Amino acid sequence: MPLQFSKYLKIEVEVVVARNSFQAEAVDKGKMSKKFVEKSAVVFMNEDFARRNGFKEGDIVRLSRRGRSINVKVFICETSPRDGVMMPNSIYSSYLADFDNFKRFRAYIELSDGDVTKPDEIIDQIKNKNKK
Amino acid sequence: MICTGCALLCDDVIIINDSGNLKVRNACRRGAKLIANYKNLRADATINGKKVNYEEAIERVKEIINNSESLAIYGMDTISIEAQKLAIELAERKEAYIDDNSTFCLGDFVEMILKKEIPSTTLDEVRDYAYVIFYWGTNPFHTLSRHMSKFTYYPRGKRRQRGYEEDRFLVVVDVRRSHTAKLAKKNAKFFEVRDDLELIQAFIDALDGKPPKIFANDVFRVIKEMEKSDFNVIFGGLGLRYGLKGKYDKFLEMIRKMNERTKVYFIPLGCHPNMRGFNELLYGITGYVNKYSFKDKESKEDFAFYNLLFEEKIDTALIIGTDPLNSLPFEYAKKLAKINVIVIDPRENFTTKIADVVLPSAITGIECGGKMKRIDGVEITLEPMIEAEIDDVSIIKSILNLIMEGI
Ligand code: SF4
Repeated sequence: MPLQFSKYLKIEVEVVVARNSFQAEAVDKGKMSKKFVEKSAVVFMNEDFARRNGFKEGDIVRLSRRGRSINVKVFICETSPRDGVMMPNSIYSSYLADFDNFKRFRAYIELSDGDVTKPDEIIDQIKNKNKK
Repeated sequence: MICTGCALLCDDVIIINDSGNLKVRNACRRGAKLIANYKNLRADATINGKKVNYEEAIERVKEIINNSESLAIYGMDTISIEAQKLAIELAERKEAYIDDNSTFCLGDFVEMILKKEIPSTTLDEVRDYAYVIFYWGTNPFHTLSRHMSKFTYYPRGKRRQRGYEEDRFLVVVDVRRSHTAKLAKKNAKFFEVRDDLELIQAFIDALDGKPPKIFANDVFRVIKEMEKSDFNVIFGGLGLRYGLKGKYDKFLEMIRKMNERTKVYFIPLGCHPNMRGFNELLYGITGYVNKYSFKDKESKEDFAFYNLLFEEKIDTALIIGTDPLNSLPFEYAKKLAKINVIVIDPRENFTTKIADVVLPSAITGIECGGKMKRIDGVEITLEPMIEAEIDDVSIIKSILNLIMEGI
């Protein structure tokens, strides 16, 4: 998942990381389950932000930060920040965050033609990058 | 029965045990799912991802721990106090590091409470007496779903008999209009902040009689409301913790100045069911709530689990009841994948995927009992809904016994 060039407009946004009970509820299906991924590999944005920036519910977007990127699905949610997006706490948000910017960080967002990133792809990154 | 779905440890949950199938009444959606679906995706005993029997797995754990020169024990916020005690004993015997999720969650606030640097109270007292209720950088609607209905905004209490629209004043501080913030309508104020420190300064200025630079009218109004009562409370979450950017002194100054005018208490709102229990237990034994080294006999930032990983100070991590691959930033998670990882957990999670050894355990509160501490420090006794043969206590005891053989 290295940073790639894209035909879509890429904008920088603030990402707020927040717990979400629907995602927590999906843990009972297991963290590798389709349901948990559906509730974790998401980015929430309010309707106005989505319209202004050309996104709609169900779009797959690529979020990139510091040479790492993931594909997640757009959900429209009125409790999202006024001028940014929101992600639930998960392996996805942790993949992009650091402790200086743990609950709020800036990242690039753009439409993507790819599929939603699977947790295994992130776990492979965590494992593979260590091979000396 | 008690639900261990979050740090509220709700005690009014009704369980109907239909031959091992649990039907749940009164719990929130999250608690209900956790209990009803307890059989889903349980962890197996594994060595390097291959299923083995429990004895083989524990034997391998013994080898790894005996060969470890630098061990860290991490997690423990979802297990009972009895199991936490044994984990601490294991850390002591191995002169290991010990730490939990509070290290990057709300442990600093808990330590301040235990050191009496900040006044705190219980949820029962909040229900009975609290008038102004702040939710600062926290969204209980999603994190502790029954917090507002059981203890704070909605219930009637001894001195709060007239309902939330008259007898409670809700203040929500957040960077976005969260679901909790959306409830702040009548007798309420929502502060949408960019910088928490600016709002803290605004309160300090107003309390000093100076005009605040932001939200001037609203800040004065909230202070006036607080002065109407001798019992107000601030619940702080991770948004506050990270919003402070390490400047806890500013927050303490604000609380101190508020307490010169009226009475204000503080309760940190963590999510893990027994994080408070771990913090208080370790504090009782060592004088510190987390990031402790039994070798150095002190706690410091360098001994935070994530720093031990990042600085490559440990060769083995014993992870109990938590999933650091889910919660640690990538740069730290990838260091974890480099060392020996032993996981004790009832369920498969991301960290079990990279573990050298997995020891499956019981879900505390469902398959085994014990004690936990609620978010406000109140001790709660858990009775198992069904009994499991192996639980965290028996697993850690076995490890301790085997380690003793090796010493
Ligand atoms: S609020 Fe927490 S403890 Fe209470 S029922 Fe829900 S998950 Fe369980």
